[in-house]
Amino acid sequence: MDARDRVRRGIPLAVLALGVAAGAYAAPAKHTVTIEAVKYDPPTLTVKQGDSVTWINKDPYPHTVTAAGAFDSKDIGAEGKWTYVARKPGRYDYICTLHPNMKGTLVVEGRAAKAPAGR
Amino acid sequence: MKMLSFIAAAALAAAGSAFAQGGPNDAQIAHIVVTANQVDIDAGKLAESKSKNAEVKAFGKQMVTDHSGVNKQATALVKKLGVKPEDNPTSESLKKGGADNVKHLKTLKGAQFDKEYVDHEVAYHEQVLDAIDKVLIPNAKNAELKGLIEKVRPAFVAHLDHAKMLQSKLGK
Repeated sequence: MDARDRVRRGIPLAVLALGVAAGAYAAPAKHTVTIEAVKYDPPTLTVKQGDSVTWINKDPYPHTVTAAGAFDSKDIGAEGKWTYVARKPGRYDYICTLHPNMKGTLVVEGRAAKAPAGR
Repeated sequence: MKMLSFIAAAALAAAGSAFAQGGPNDAQIAHIVVTANQVDIDAGKLAESKSKNAEVKAFGKQMVTDHSGVNKQATALVKKLGVKPEDNPTSESLKKGGADNVKHLKTLKGAQFDKEYVDHEVAYHEQVLDAIDKVLIPNAKNAELKGLIEKVRPAFVAHLDHAKMLQSKLGK
């Protein structure tokens, strides 16, 4: 087997290796939090880093999803929605700035595997 | 201001006694809900245009938005249910109390306006919550009408907290 053959044979292995890496690094999931009756449902949501969370407002007036210093949806109108991609692990307590008696928590867990370079 | 709050309180207290058959029917409840919201929309609009205080203005604007949202939903529901909102003594008193409040507030300016508007908002939301708990929810027969009132109740609690927070700020 010459060097070129080795390279050729190596390619499928490299592809396989990447496939395994991708498997360990599962595709980001999508989550939903419903806002209804001046409440977040579920009130606490745990996601993996990189997942996205969409808040859907089913109340007839605006709400916000605001974690001071981390994220802020600003006003989400009646029947509106807002999506946030959870990039940074941590525990985020959030409120609606318009109705501060509304409280929710987003927990973002880090990925076990290292993110591939360039990500 | 004290007199106006008293009138508003009397109007809502009357809600419990003004109905001979033990309480308002659904058509009357629908009318009370829409009227109560409209009263606060009118006061909010005035605060939005008249106040010079950014927080009071923002509160007034939110009252217009939130209570308009509730009324839009309530109006859609009564249409769906085929209920015709029915005028009643409680609605009449609410309407009169609201009109008197707006008339009085229009004579005030600056800090005095802000104080009396916010004081009235505190009293108003306390009384509406009381009416929701003692009159509207216990008497509503239709599950969707009852559900709507239950769902918006926490927003009234948030408004009351917000108004009280403004009240203590303005009092300083």
